[in-house]
Amino acid sequence: MHKPAISAGLALTILLTACGSSEPQEVVEQIVVREPGEVVTEIVEEGDGAQGTDLLALGEDAFQMCTGCHVIEEGAPSSAGPNLHNIMGRVAGTAENYPYSEALATSGLTWDEATLDGFLADPGGYLPGTDMLAGAVRDDESRRAVIAYLASQSSGAGE
Amino acid sequence: MNDLTPEKTERSKLAKWSRRGFIGAGVLAGGGLLIGIGVRPGNPIGELAPKVAGGAGEQLVNSWVKIDTNNIVTAIVPHCEMGQGAHSVLAQMLADELDAAWEDVRVMQAPADGSYVVSAAARLFAAPFTLNAADWIKPTWDGVFTQISRAADVLITGGSSSIRSTGQYQMRVAGAAARKMLVGAAAESWGVPADEITTRNSTLTHEASGNSAPYSEFASAAAEQPMDQTPQLKTADQYRLMGRSIARTDIPAKINGTAEFGIDAQPDGLDLSYAAVVRPPVPGTRALSMDATRAQEMGGVLQILNMGNFVAVVADSYWQAQQAIGMISIEWSQSDSPVKTMDDQFAIFAAALDEAGEDGGEEAASRGDAATALAEAATTIDAEYRAPYLAHAPMEPLNCTAHVADGKCQIWTSTQVPLMARSEVASTIGLAADDVIIHHPYLGGAFGRRLGSEYVAMAARVAQATGYPVKLIWSREEDTQKALYRCADLCRMRAGFSQDGVLTAYSSIFTQRHDPAEASVPAMYDIANTKVRVAEAALHLPFQAWRSVDHSQQGFFVESFIDEIAHAAGADPLDYRLAMLANAPRHKAVLERVAEISGWREPAADGTAKGVAIVESFGTIVAEVIEVDMSSGSPKMTNIWAVCDAGYVMNPDGFKNQIEGGIVFGLTAAMYGELELRDGAIIQSNFHDYKMLRMEDVPDIEVAIIDSGDVPIGGAGEPGLPPAAPALANAIFAASGTRIRDLPIAKQFA
Amino acid sequence: MADFILNGEPVSIDADPNMPILWVVREKLGLSGTKFGCGIAQCGACTVHLDGQPVRSCSTAVSQAEGREVTTIEGVGGPEGELTRVQQAWVSEQVPQCGYCQSGQIMSATALLRDNPNPTDDDIDAAMSGNICRCGTYTRIRRAIKVAAGQVEPREQRENVGEA
Repeated sequence: MHKPAISAGLALTILLTACGSSEPQEVVEQIVVREPGEVVTEIVEEGDGAQGTDLLALGEDAFQMCTGCHVIEEGAPSSAGPNLHNIMGRVAGTAENYPYSEALATSGLTWDEATLDGFLADPGGYLPGTDMLAGAVRDDESRRAVIAYLASQSSGAGE
Repeated sequence: MNDLTPEKTERSKLAKWSRRGFIGAGVLAGGGLLIGIGVRPGNPIGELAPKVAGGAGEQLVNSWVKIDTNNIVTAIVPHCEMGQGAHSVLAQMLADELDAAWEDVRVMQAPADGSYVVSAAARLFAAPFTLNAADWIKPTWDGVFTQISRAADVLITGGSSSIRSTGQYQMRVAGAAARKMLVGAAAESWGVPADEITTRNSTLTHEASGNSAPYSEFASAAAEQPMDQTPQLKTADQYRLMGRSIARTDIPAKINGTAEFGIDAQPDGLDLSYAAVVRPPVPGTRALSMDATRAQEMGGVLQILNMGNFVAVVADSYWQAQQAIGMISIEWSQSDSPVKTMDDQFAIFAAALDEAGEDGGEEAASRGDAATALAEAATTIDAEYRAPYLAHAPMEPLNCTAHVADGKCQIWTSTQVPLMARSEVASTIGLAADDVIIHHPYLGGAFGRRLGSEYVAMAARVAQATGYPVKLIWSREEDTQKALYRCADLCRMRAGFSQDGVLTAYSSIFTQRHDPAEASVPAMYDIANTKVRVAEAALHLPFQAWRSVDHSQQGFFVESFIDEIAHAAGADPLDYRLAMLANAPRHKAVLERVAEISGWREPAADGTAKGVAIVESFGTIVAEVIEVDMSSGSPKMTNIWAVCDAGYVMNPDGFKNQIEGGIVFGLTAAMYGELELRDGAIIQSNFHDYKMLRMEDVPDIEVAIIDSGDVPIGGAGEPGLPPAAPALANAIFAASGTRIRDLPIAKQFA
Repeated sequence: MADFILNGEPVSIDADPNMPILWVVREKLGLSGTKFGCGIAQCGACTVHLDGQPVRSCSTAVSQAEGREVTTIEGVGGPEGELTRVQQAWVSEQVPQCGYCQSGQIMSATALLRDNPNPTDDDIDAAMSGNICRCGTYTRIRRAIKVAAGQVEPREQRENVGEA
């Protein structure tokens, strides 16, 4: 709480400025995608499911949930979770500057499609003692897509 | 319970303060007593009634109280409830003066209406001496002051002031005035002398005649009664509710998920859309352009907007909006600030202090002749202290729901300043203030953060641009990185001693002085020569008052340095302070009591040591002793004791919980609080790196209260905080010999 | 479609399978007692029970709830809103200040006491340290857990506020 000076006039000035300026701002750019309530046919692929670039797009989407804890840009510092750049083919627990749980650091796992599939479906069940308490990807399609995306962010991925 | 012997002073203060017409009275259509602390003398309060007395059969007894046909008394509280218990304790104070039955008292948040400006609070802060202004000047001050209050939208909660301003000078007066008018009405009706009527539990009784009636029976008639502008208030020995640990009225809803916070707004009949936002990473920059190609294709996305000073995605759900906004690449303008890291910021502070040198800068406080005393001192010690930027980090991230339609804007949000928010929205989207309606429920914490309303204006702009009712939520990352902050600062301190180790001079200079002005001055100590100076320097991150404001960093600077001084003199730090408090009996008593309850003078438990600090802030004196165990090499707190003198405490348990909370808040900052910069942008983003104390870190906290019966009474929300960091740092010194001059602490022992 | 049991009642919700339970419950089912605090399972304000176990609903996709029981703060008490022992202790010890974190605190404490009716201080630390309280009510939460466990007497009856 701002304590203004003694004079009443000054009090008015300070109290007013305490609330901050609010110059009118123009909208610089406005993109209208659709209106609320407009029905959009969500593409839910049955059977083979998404392939190729569709799968990657789905994976990148699904990965958004992971960005709460993980970064994937090369060189970006790890945050709540380790940097996942180049995770495919990496020995578990070896990203730099990240305090892994003992469980994961000593697991002897190498991350590949199979191990990631098992881990992401149920981290605590697959690797008891992991710090990754959240972030399971239960949905099979989403998990397949996330793994494809993770692969695309690893060198030698070829996508 | 101590008698508040100064009540005579209080009554005469009120007589001077509350001139004719300052309390207004009126009758409501349909009958009912209406008393208000009117903002303009003689102002009828009828216009307020529709906003407040909406229920069938409700009668607006006064603008702070209403009574319904079931004899339910509703206290209308103009302060927000952000966990400090203001709603409940202000109702408690009003209900006591009114002699209402507590179980029939309810609390209502006053609407964000100019009639509820808390002029007493504004007065307390702007011109405290006017409470005792001479008679001839009073009408001028009253009129001017309330005009200022209304113009400046002074409906504010903050500064640990709700009880000691609005509670003491408005709620209690309203309750007492209402009671007297009810008695007058009953006296007339029963044909008996008013002074033979007693009131208790919302009931009027005349024993001799056997008459008795609930308040509701005379509420309408009471409106016709003459009004006492300066009703007599109870003395402490007459209190029935005040001074007692009455259970809080808002707690039952806060343990079963029904309490509504700003973020929970689900306005009837509105299909909400949700907005996520990204603000500039570096203060003062803008979004020049954005590439939203990927974001547009994501599920649930409705609109994407570049609003200049932020980018927003509006979607069917907040989560979808937040996912999408992460996919937008934004080109931000360049910042021309030279501050890229905190080293740069501290270099700017240092440059300002260097330039001020030995006698430059502006004098903040002075006693005696410190310059000479220092020059003549037998020994001097110098110390440079630092404090980092801190975020408020309330558990409820900033948010606001807005709907612009039919020339009006409805707002639902958590705010400490509903009228300022209203003005900011009005000027931002081009409406009259009266066309902006603010609904403000409970706050999920604020600590000063919600004194600024930029998030409210943001929501209004998005609602206006899209035409949708929009709930706009800041992610925790936005809340941490793109906010307003407790300032960082650098403080250079010097002390001078005589041959026999007596402190003869104290001086300090620093760069950030916001408020309260006395935060940097160790005024209670008998130091013959003191000089405190400010050499202002610019802040890279914008400032916002943070719980206890300047006391938060100055408490650490001053009480750590006093501790250094004590150790340099070879003395026990608590006894050394006591010796300097000969002319501050209340401070002395508080310090002696904390020595007692903490076992200061007994041998310390193995591996532990204690540190002490005492700070007076917001009218309350608090001394804390913290016991720390350093045997593992890093500090582990094992016990905390606090003794407080606030003059008089209206609700002891409520007071204690505020002190406990202030201590934990201050210790979180002391142990972990720090915001670092890279390229001028804040690095820390969420609770994994902007760490908080948790259950396992916090030991027992014992709080003792001394009622010294002093008026005006002191605050509760902030005073627990300032002594916390220095008490801990002083304990760490006692345990390890390591003197902490820079916060946070934990990383220095990692 | 996500099908699960919410507070004892079956629900069927049209939602992206990756949408966290937190947002499904708050926005699609209108139950606002579970709170958003951080979004990365660091603060515990979003704690719900999944088949009785405390989970951070901000980081648990609704697809994980498929066919399982989700309990929120609204469903932890009795059918007529009767308070649990934990909730009663929260009131007697006057725990909440702002109250925003308390739904999550109560969910974590409830699960603790169900699995461990006589917890030690270390047990309490382990179970509760995932829940942040910015208002600093930790000492009261600890005491309330002990009251609910019957280890500590409830705060002495407050002075009777009826007849004074």
